[in-house]
Amino acid sequence: MSARTRVVLAAAPSLATLYARAAGARLTALFPGAKPAGGALPQVEHHLDGLRVDPGKLVDYQRMMGDTVRDELPSVFVHGMVFPLAMSVMVREDFPLPLLGMVHLANKATHVRPISPAATLSATAHAENLRGHRAGTQLDLVVEVGEGSEVVWRGVSTYLARGVWPGAGPGAPAEPHAAFAAPGRTASWKLAADTGRAYAAVLGDYNPIHLSAASARALGMKRAIAHGMYLAGRALAAAAPHGTGYDWEIEFATPVFLPSTVDVAFDVGAGRTTFSGWGARSGKPHFSGSITAL
Amino acid sequence: MSEPLQAIRPAVVIGGNRIPFARSNGAYSKASNQDMLTAALDGLIARFGLQGQRLGAVAAGAVLKHSKDFNLVRESVLGTSLSAQTPAYDVQMACATGMEAIGSLANKIKLGQIDSAIGGGVDTTSDAPIAVSEGLRAVLMDLSRARSTSAKLKALSKFRPRDLAPHAPGTGEPRTGLSMGDHQAITTKAWNVSREAQDELALASHKNLAAAYERNFFDDLITPFAGVSRDTNLRADSTLEKLATLKPAFGRNLGADATMTAGNSTPLTDGASAVLLGSEEYARENDLPMLANFVDFEAAAVDFVHGAEGLLMAPAYAVARILERNNLTLQDFDFYEIHEAFAGTVLSTLAAWESEDFCKNKLGLDAPLGSIDRSKLNVNGSSLAAGHPFAATGGRIVATLAKMLHEKGSGRGLISVCAAGGQGVVAILEAR
Repeated sequence: MSARTRVVLAAAPSLATLYARAAGARLTALFPGAKPAGGALPQVEHHLDGLRVDPGKLVDYQRMMGDTVRDELPSVFVHGMVFPLAMSVMVREDFPLPLLGMVHLANKATHVRPISPAATLSATAHAENLRGHRAGTQLDLVVEVGEGSEVVWRGVSTYLARGVWPGAGPGAPAEPHAAFAAPGRTASWKLAADTGRAYAAVLGDYNPIHLSAASARALGMKRAIAHGMYLAGRALAAAAPHGTGYDWEIEFATPVFLPSTVDVAFDVGAGRTTFSGWGARSGKPHFSGSITAL
Repeated sequence: MSEPLQAIRPAVVIGGNRIPFARSNGAYSKASNQDMLTAALDGLIARFGLQGQRLGAVAAGAVLKHSKDFNLVRESVLGTSLSAQTPAYDVQMACATGMEAIGSLANKIKLGQIDSAIGGGVDTTSDAPIAVSEGLRAVLMDLSRARSTSAKLKALSKFRPRDLAPHAPGTGEPRTGLSMGDHQAITTKAWNVSREAQDELALASHKNLAAAYERNFFDDLITPFAGVSRDTNLRADSTLEKLATLKPAFGRNLGADATMTAGNSTPLTDGASAVLLGSEEYARENDLPMLANFVDFEAAAVDFVHGAEGLLMAPAYAVARILERNNLTLQDFDFYEIHEAFAGTVLSTLAAWESEDFCKNKLGLDAPLGSIDRSKLNVNGSSLAAGHPFAATGGRIVATLAKMLHEKGSGRGLISVCAAGGQGVVAILEAR
């Protein structure tokens, strides 16, 4: 049913190479708006077979998130495994938005069933749903992960390219944030300045906006910000069910500048846990989401 | 068809002993857990003439333990004049360690497996274990596994200077990152416990403990240690005015609703306690007193991780269950010993038992458990005044309550001890 052309990659792309390419493209283009405006998303899907888990990285991940070392792949770890494939779509010459400086708006995923760390996985990624946002342009990156012929994981990441208007230009003006009243906290996360570097060391995502204040400033951030998937990983480590599949989603409101203390609230309902995080000091909402057992 | 019950017999509290509790980094700075537990045991052995006896078991524990203390209680027993043939083991259930140790020993006595036992606990936050960082630990472990020089060099190459920063244990809950006090602050606010009510409870604790010392109540419950003969946290001259001047120490994110101060929260403390238990036959044969029966105990736990309940509220649930099992009401007691982790903990628990909503929806009861006669609460002081060396608190309370019941000559006492990890242990003692 898909009209997309399948591009089968021989090996997992290296994120370092991808970021270098993205940086190169940025240097040539100089400004985000210089990307060919008005472009449509490439009608391709990138595919990779033979994905294996590095057991050492898995343990490092579980330790970093405060999760238990167990023989089930954490959902955000799966996201991290296939992120280079998703990136490879976004650094294509014909991709209409600049990769560097893009921010995460939201993620949702269906973790269809428990996935063994011993599994050999395949993954297919494509971009869709290019659309406007008050601060730029957003799109969805969809990745399906399979084991054999079975889809075991499907994730949709929504990204925003700030200040990029491929279409008619700025959409509706920003609506003022609804006043945020923090719920009672049930946990507090102290995120060190090196949180982004620790995440990069485990999942290989060396996006400069997460690494250091200096590298983040180069991309227009006032300080390094926590990786959205780090925040999602912490929430899932605390509340994801085991031995069953589950849906989860997270939306990001304002960035978590590092270092920072994030107050968090979990609310457990029947089969569904909601969570939210906000700045312990600033009181600004950072993220909210939910986890639903299948 | 139910199985016939195994015949059970009473387990009696014969007596107890503790060393005075001392504020952290004070009088006991150089004392180890083993030193303090041995001192508490020595005093108990001397008081009841247990030298050379082979007891059924000694069970105790410490919440903060060095890795070298893997056999802390057995090593302590070997340092006493008890028979070296006395088995001993370590128990750990956070602040309920002492209660779990004593309750389990009482069960063994009831079943006839053993005739005598000592249960207790010890803790020090002054001689606390300091661990190397996870980074350095990983390097050292890899190094010890490395066989070749190149593997050793590779392991060493992972060392980073920041790995030199040591890691001290904290009172934070591992799964939430919140300190115990910050957790209690959430509960204290949820139950609308006022600053004044907390300060009044703290003051009563100090006044009651001071009065108990004045009438020499602790003469046969405490042996001096390291030049200390009274709990060093005790402030007999404390006043509500003084307590009111203290600034909030926990839940400061609550702003004007922050009510928990250093005055109405227990300080970090060092100390040890031990309780001698036995069968009636053992007590009679050895001409030992019988202060109280250890009737029953019950543990509970709550889901504080996901906010379903307050961290220190488990005893509220355990009490409902132990009352039902023993066919008693909350008012059927002459003394209530509710461990004062924080004044807010005690007052939140009392409020919960009075709450129709809580008792109906959380405890599944038809009617609230009701209120208690506050003049029967912690009548000889509790942790706010005495201090709270985590694992030692259970032994302090059991020995104190058993003596109070014996002095009165009749009646019952209820013990409630909350613990980290959302747990709690409660127990019922009956006078003899």
